[in-house]
Amino acid sequence: MSLKVGLPRALFYHTYYPLWQAFYAALGVETVVSPETNKGILNKGIKCVVDETCLPVKVFFGHVAELCEAGADYLFVPRLVSVEKKAYICPKFMGLPDMLKASRIQQPPLIAPVINFVKVTPLQKILDECAAPFTRNRVKINRAWQKAWQEQKQHEENLRKITPHHDLTILLLGHDYNVYDRYINMDLIKKLQQLGCQVMTAAHIAREERDRQIEKFPRSVFWTYGRNLIGAAYHFMEQPGLKGVIILSSFGCGIDSFIDNFIIRRLTEQKIPHLNVVLDEHTGEGGLNTRLEAFVDIIRWRRDYHQGYVSPHGQYLGSAERNA
Amino acid sequence: MGNTWVALKGMLEYIGLEVVVPPPITKETLFLGVQHAPEFACLPLKINIGNLIEAKKLGADVFIMAGGTGPCRFGLYAQLEKEILEDLGYHYDSLIIEPPDTGYWQFLKQVKKIVGKASWWRVFQGIRFGYQKALAVDKLEKLVEEIRPRETVKGTADKIFQNALQIIDRAQNFGELEESYILSSEKLRHIPQDERKKVLKIGLVGEIYTLLEPFASADIEKKLGYLGAEVRRSLYLSEWVNEHLFLKAKGPSIRDFARPFLNHFVGGHGQETIGAGVAFANAGFDGIVQVAPLTCMPEIVAHNIFPEVSRDCGIPVLNIYVDEQTGEAGINTRLEAFIELLEARRKPDGKVVSKPDAVQGVAQDVASPIPREAAQKAANKEGPDTLTM
Ligand code: SF4
Ligand code: SF4
Repeated sequence: MSLKVGLPRALFYHTYYPLWQAFYAALGVETVVSPETNKGILNKGIKCVVDETCLPVKVFFGHVAELCEAGADYLFVPRLVSVEKKAYICPKFMGLPDMLKASRIQQPPLIAPVINFVKVTPLQKILDECAAPFTRNRVKINRAWQKAWQEQKQHEENLRKITPHHDLTILLLGHDYNVYDRYINMDLIKKLQQLGCQVMTAAHIAREERDRQIEKFPRSVFWTYGRNLIGAAYHFMEQPGLKGVIILSSFGCGIDSFIDNFIIRRLTEQKIPHLNVVLDEHTGEGGLNTRLEAFVDIIRWRRDYHQGYVSPHGQYLGSAERNA
Repeated sequence: MGNTWVALKGMLEYIGLEVVVPPPITKETLFLGVQHAPEFACLPLKINIGNLIEAKKLGADVFIMAGGTGPCRFGLYAQLEKEILEDLGYHYDSLIIEPPDTGYWQFLKQVKKIVGKASWWRVFQGIRFGYQKALAVDKLEKLVEEIRPRETVKGTADKIFQNALQIIDRAQNFGELEESYILSSEKLRHIPQDERKKVLKIGLVGEIYTLLEPFASADIEKKLGYLGAEVRRSLYLSEWVNEHLFLKAKGPSIRDFARPFLNHFVGGHGQETIGAGVAFANAGFDGIVQVAPLTCMPEIVAHNIFPEVSRDCGIPVLNIYVDEQTGEAGINTRLEAFIELLEARRKPDGKVVSKPDAVQGVAQDVASPIPREAAQKAANKEGPDTLTM
């Protein structure tokens, strides 16, 4: 009898799931989340949108289709225009609910509040809209929000905890929905860990630090992912120790095409080894394994080979590995 | 970009600057751009880079480029171009003009910086002069669009138009401009035409660069014209200038037509693309062609929404993406097939436009269902598309 809100496990779910789930839980609303991405989901998604669409949006449509088949009474698809003052997400996020409505997926009503902090949508309005089908009690809504926000903060803090030390640190630069979707990235993080690497992502770097680092960029970067990734790269460059960067991008992503270029140029200047992995529907797992192993091996081999040249501070500058 | 140079050159010369018009875009330009630009960048960036490399070889040392504040890639074009050129060892001073939407005063100051000693009055008149040139070119182009499918000898209108561009370019003051416009439009009107020919009406919508630069869109507009369709674009330079530079607010915006299909600004011209599509459908056009650079984000959003517009408004839509691999032949076949489809759909009793004279009045109405001067006051815009020189 209770109404269920469907949360597609895609795009911003990967960043904000603690917030969303806790919010609805506190309101006493049941949520259903689509399963982790799998081949079936991806294939469904591919059929729902035009071919030129980027991979993550295809994946998103697959999750929506899956949820709709499983039966949800509402779908939570916020129109995420921007989550901070000076930056947008991506044109595609801005048109997401409209693309969904235009698709042929049989869908329940959408909960699609506009979230825009460039123009400042009042928070209360967003919350009211999210809760509208279930309650209009502001006290309840605001209490749920407080709780959810706590959860989200806690989650982000947990992410920042650094794992035990290894000899080699790899910075994995990618949008959250690529970094955390294990099917799409073929379990990249685990693979790297098995190769004995410590993996860092942009999530390890605090917001303030990112904002400080991004100032180095000559112009304003008006995409949140751009700020996260370029900021993380700048931060990482300053860190000592043996390191490498893996840039994870989606095939057909407009933002990555620019951001990656900016990052790769700077890494090359600093002689930091890097590898660009472009994800698409047909990326082969075998090929990826080989490339990762080679990448990691070369970084270590160079260190051993150049032992004598390592500076007394232990700062190692390997030459660039341009595999883009 | 397309015939933009006529207006820009007019403006700068009026103010008293010497202008070198970059050589027209060729396959070579694109090739240079593709070599050095990121693979998944959008086509306008690739062409821009090619332009800049070629211009450098001709001795240019300053490039002027519009900036922007997102959400689309255009706002970072200038920065990326600068870095790529620097890598190649081409040093440019770049002047990045933020669009007037972010502050009129700021914009004027930047313009002033470029023009140096000229008086404010001169600058103001220069902008007006450039705008008048753009207006003249656009009006002639619309005439050409009407004549192309109907002229007895194919290519006549285009020949006269090319000539008209030269004359307009040479005009030094408002008087000469007026004269050259009248002369050219008279010439166009006298082209022998098949008065009884039934032509299809097609609305061309999409991303601004591909709409205004024939090279970028493999000359789709002309091709459709020769295939027997009267084409109307969703965007002309003078209108764009009017909206963005003069910030004219009149009537509803073309974006309003996008509702309920696309209810939010999506960067670039995505919302205008949908809005214009709906407006063309309402005005009884036979079909819509959407053209955009591959990976263009706003246009991909629009593309995903077009099927619904097509179902709801009962109008066929053809979507064409262009990039460096676009083949002429492929596009030709698709355009031909589309025209055939439209011909087949048209009822024999035909809601067709017959001859230009008889329907002059009607054609005007039909042709501009869109409140062209309508301003978009939305806070965010992609900047002007290109001002590379
Ligand atoms: S940021 Fe890139 S990958 Fe993400 S939705 Fe936009 S275009 Fe697609
Ligand atoms: S509108 Fe399209 S072509 Fe223009 S900058 Fe954006 S993605 Fe590139």
